[in-house]
Amino acid sequence: MIHALLWMCLLLPPQSAEPSVPGDALPLLQSGIDAENRGAFDEAVAAFRKAAELAPNTAIVFLRLGDAYMKEHDYAAAIPPLKHAAELSPDSPAVHQLLGYALLAAGYAADAVSHLKMINDPAALGIAQLQAGQAAEAVANLQAALAKSPDDPDLLFYLSRAATALAGQSLDRLRAVDPNSARGHQALGQTDYEMKKLPEAAKEYEQALAMRPDLPGLRLELGQVFAAGSEWAKAEEQFRGEAKLQPGSAEAAYRLGNALLQQGKMKEAAEELKRSDSLSPGMPETLYALGKAAAISEPDAAAHALERVIELEKDTPLAGQAYLVLAQIHRRQGKAEQAARDTENYRKIQALTAHPPS
Amino acid sequence: MTRRELLSLLFSLGAREFGRVLPAQDTKPKSDPVFQVKSPKGVDFVLRNSPTSRKYLIETMPGGVALLDYNNDGLLDVFFVNGGNVRDTMATPINFDRRNPAYWNRLYRQNPDGTFTDVTEQAGLAHAGDANYGMGVAVGDYDNDGFPDIYVTNFGKNILYHNNGDGTFTDVTAKAGVAAGGWSVSAGFFDYDNDGRLDLFVTRYLDWSVEKSKTCGSERATYCPPGTFPAITNVLYHNRGDGTFEDVSIASGIAAKKGHGLGVAFADYDGDGFTDIFVANDATDQFLFHNNGNGTFTECGLDAGAGLSESGRMPSGMGVVFQDYDNDGLPDLLVTQLPHDPYVIFHNDGRGLFSAQELEAGFGVLSGSVSGWGVGLEDFDNDGWKDAFIVQGHVFDNVETYDDSLRYREPPLLALNRAGRFERANPGSDLPVAGRGAAFGDLNNDGWMDVVTTSLGEAPQFYFNRRGQFHWLTITLHGKRSNRDGFGARVQVNGQTRFATAAGSYLSSNDKRLHFGLGSAETADIEIRWPSGIRQVLRGVKADQFIVIEESVQP
Repeated sequence: MIHALLWMCLLLPPQSAEPSVPGDALPLLQSGIDAENRGAFDEAVAAFRKAAELAPNTAIVFLRLGDAYMKEHDYAAAIPPLKHAAELSPDSPAVHQLLGYALLAAGYAADAVSHLKMINDPAALGIAQLQAGQAAEAVANLQAALAKSPDDPDLLFYLSRAATALAGQSLDRLRAVDPNSARGHQALGQTDYEMKKLPEAAKEYEQALAMRPDLPGLRLELGQVFAAGSEWAKAEEQFRGEAKLQPGSAEAAYRLGNALLQQGKMKEAAEELKRSDSLSPGMPETLYALGKAAAISEPDAAAHALERVIELEKDTPLAGQAYLVLAQIHRRQGKAEQAARDTENYRKIQALTAHPPS
Repeated sequence: MTRRELLSLLFSLGAREFGRVLPAQDTKPKSDPVFQVKSPKGVDFVLRNSPTSRKYLIETMPGGVALLDYNNDGLLDVFFVNGGNVRDTMATPINFDRRNPAYWNRLYRQNPDGTFTDVTEQAGLAHAGDANYGMGVAVGDYDNDGFPDIYVTNFGKNILYHNNGDGTFTDVTAKAGVAAGGWSVSAGFFDYDNDGRLDLFVTRYLDWSVEKSKTCGSERATYCPPGTFPAITNVLYHNRGDGTFEDVSIASGIAAKKGHGLGVAFADYDGDGFTDIFVANDATDQFLFHNNGNGTFTECGLDAGAGLSESGRMPSGMGVVFQDYDNDGLPDLLVTQLPHDPYVIFHNDGRGLFSAQELEAGFGVLSGSVSGWGVGLEDFDNDGWKDAFIVQGHVFDNVETYDDSLRYREPPLLALNRAGRFERANPGSDLPVAGRGAAFGDLNNDGWMDVVTTSLGEAPQFYFNRRGQFHWLTITLHGKRSNRDGFGARVQVNGQTRFATAAGSYLSSNDKRLHFGLGSAETADIEIRWPSGIRQVLRGVKADQFIVIEESVQP
């Protein structure tokens, strides 16, 4: 994104607030522009440097020098001449734009922000703010930029980064202002979970639950802590509580179904996974788990679920796994040819997605 | 919205999903201990694996243990395979200092009072070859002389020790032609062509050498995953019957498949009268070599449903046991592996087909976040159902620095079989060790199965069964037309089935006697199908005894 913006900017002739260039510097300036046009940026830099010595108070010369450095991708070198241009021409948007880009590209995001605020470029400003740790402002500016270019992949990427950073900052704030609240314990639990400190995470979530037992999501997260430690019975208890609290949550039903599946409670698991599928149809993982849970007791229903996984996932590893379970069902049904085809399809996907031993 | 999108949305709300499974917290069973862990007097072995900062992969893989009665005095003796001396800088020619007694393999003879005597040197087993880093052991009477012989696998060259019958062994590797080479891991004797002579199968792990060694990890050095190195073939030796073996790896089709072989187990899974082979591969499909009955094998793991776990992923297969856990008369597979997924149960569905059923069997609750190696399916409580014992410990000796939820040292898992579903039980020790090998047998001849395990850098652990009220029967097979050990025989007792073998587990060799828990039954009906095809039936055999059954001469 940065490079694209810079390139777009540099395609435009730099504007200067100061039109007058000393006569002896003009040929050098022209020579530099000619070299630039030929792509000979080394020559251009040399010519602009000499012009700058002859015209130390002319902003356009320093702007051109900074521009040439940036075209060479030497952003750090571009900063001093552009700063000098900004001193000479403090109201020039072109100078602030180029200086903002140079600072951002060189990693001085916080310094770039003040310059980018002086021009109308919410995208670059948002990126600079994100890198400067100003997540909330970054989100606002990136959203504004996206309003103009809704499908720009770079903007979408940076907005997701900014939103994640904002969420992290909010959690940090929560932990700082009220660590003993239910939400505070929840946040601490999440941190412990991320650090794979499972007993500590469980303790925090349990404290949160003791304070606010009806808080949606808490039991889901605590259940996932237990699930991560293969403590499936405890996980089941929490997911069951969440499913009771939020009977419309496909996620809770899926988690509960999977916990039952891991304990080998296939029929119960199948029921819960069917419920999840009815709440939010087309979730491949739910359908895959349903296929496994129902493989023996309801082979036709299981096969149907697995076929839907394959339809949705095409040639991903999950589709490969679905083929394998399907092969197992077909083998049990005595459909040897179909099982062989399923296995062959698994092999094809495996060849696409894995690195077999040499 | 797909599930992933939903999870992505929830990510910012805190309901995060990790891609890997983390360790169980509530792993302490509340039942009475099944075993008492004791160090028998006279056993001073330490498994010296010699970990280095260079993280040579061999360091984390030994070492085997065998339970055998080498002098036929009726008492089980114990043989341990040692690693070797590995240093950060290994000069060529490679020397693992195996002449130093600290790195010897060790044979301990059991005395009548339950103590042991180190007889390594007098038995002629002291030197294992300086260029050999020790791995595993297989035991079988390959020349049918009535005395068990010992085959030791190494990184380097393997060694076959012929039991002279007088308390000594002779290295007959060169004459027998079974040195293999490269990195051998587990091995086992079995009779694949039913000619009455034990053949030999050897798994090999990787095309690796000290010179080719790499170190992985970014901030901290670790052992590299198996995929870092080329896969390699396993080896099958056919016993010619004259004290020599022929390498039939290519002719038999075994060498047609390259993998990362670690554990090996044998059973006739499809009832065609020929013993088949299962190889636990690390991070590739598991291999099920179907014995075609004509000297060749066809690998059919994936097609038979025994290639991948219930999750559909490739198990990092370590140890394996091939026995019938649900008493349906068909041999099933239990494969141990590293954290990510539960230990795998391949249930034998009949008609030559398997299905992964570890979740139904209870292993989703018992494992998934631990690392399993040596494994056995034995009836520890004599209730008529085979239980599982698994020795555990992660591969990386610094795994905690990567992942606070994983442990290099772990206690073993004992899971009692409740009519086909396994439940955690108290093994009698929660001491965490970097467990590797495990051998199963009745050390003190009390009718209750014991366990000996090895762990890296430490003394072995002896798990003596505390015993209970149920009855039992232990059978020694004596083949006549079949191989003398009776390996490959299917023995059925009161509705239970065992497939005679000393192989299985990881790197290790078990008591060849067949142990059956009889529950409250005071007698047993026994049916044996010998490898020769002879069927033999004994009815009303009294419980609580050791019996020897000779193969009848009449079909």
